[in-house]
Amino acid sequence: MAETPPYRTPRWVKIIGIIALTAVLLLGILMLAGLGGEHGPGRHLPSTGGSATLPVAHNGQG
Amino acid sequence: MAPGLRKLALTAHVTASVGWLGAVVAYLALVIAALSSRDTSTVRAVWTALEVTIRFAIVPLAVAALLSGLVQSLGTEWGLFRHYWVLFKLMLTCIATAILLLHLPTVSSLAGVASATDHAGLTGLRGELLHAGGGLLVLLITTVLAVYKPRGLTPYGWRKVHERRALSAP
Repeated sequence: MAETPPYRTPRWVKIIGIIALTAVLLLGILMLAGLGGEHGPGRHLPSTGGSATLPVAHNGQG
Repeated sequence: MAPGLRKLALTAHVTASVGWLGAVVAYLALVIAALSSRDTSTVRAVWTALEVTIRFAIVPLAVAALLSGLVQSLGTEWGLFRHYWVLFKLMLTCIATAILLLHLPTVSSLAGVASATDHAGLTGLRGELLHAGGGLLVLLITTVLAVYKPRGLTPYGWRKVHERRALSAP
């Protein structure tokens, strides 16, 4: 019976993995540094509704 | 799955996926139109259109694409965890659908504020540009994966293939 060859992760998967990891790290650094502004996953949580509202209207009528 | 049923499931999956991509492009076009407009009534109308588009087109199509993709994977030889391209597509679709569902109340809230006040803020629209742009990128990646189907078995798929070979060997 032929021996099973060892498993090898495809090269494209390794490349995509490195790119995805770099993107996640970069995003994390940007968020930690506050460069992403007010945007982030917390924006969608019900307890942090602050930035999910538009500025209140000022129509000049008081 | 029987060949006829498989074709039907594939048609449903392609229709839902392409429809999702098209709806996101329309959403992005509305956001860009509002961002480049100084007219408050236009911006307000766009917020209403965005809410209708996301609620009645994007979300249903995303859920349909995810479910029909699951049927397609589990009902064919491709499987769900055997090939990297299927696994990546599943992960991206799940993440995009989750973000979409989490984002839906935000869009509804912002559309409500825009219709109730005289000031339709552009800050929220920049967030929409980010979401729709990111969503479009993810959908383009999943389309490329679906069309090119890059080779590569996961360790689970590799094991399954060799188990089957061992069983079929005389």
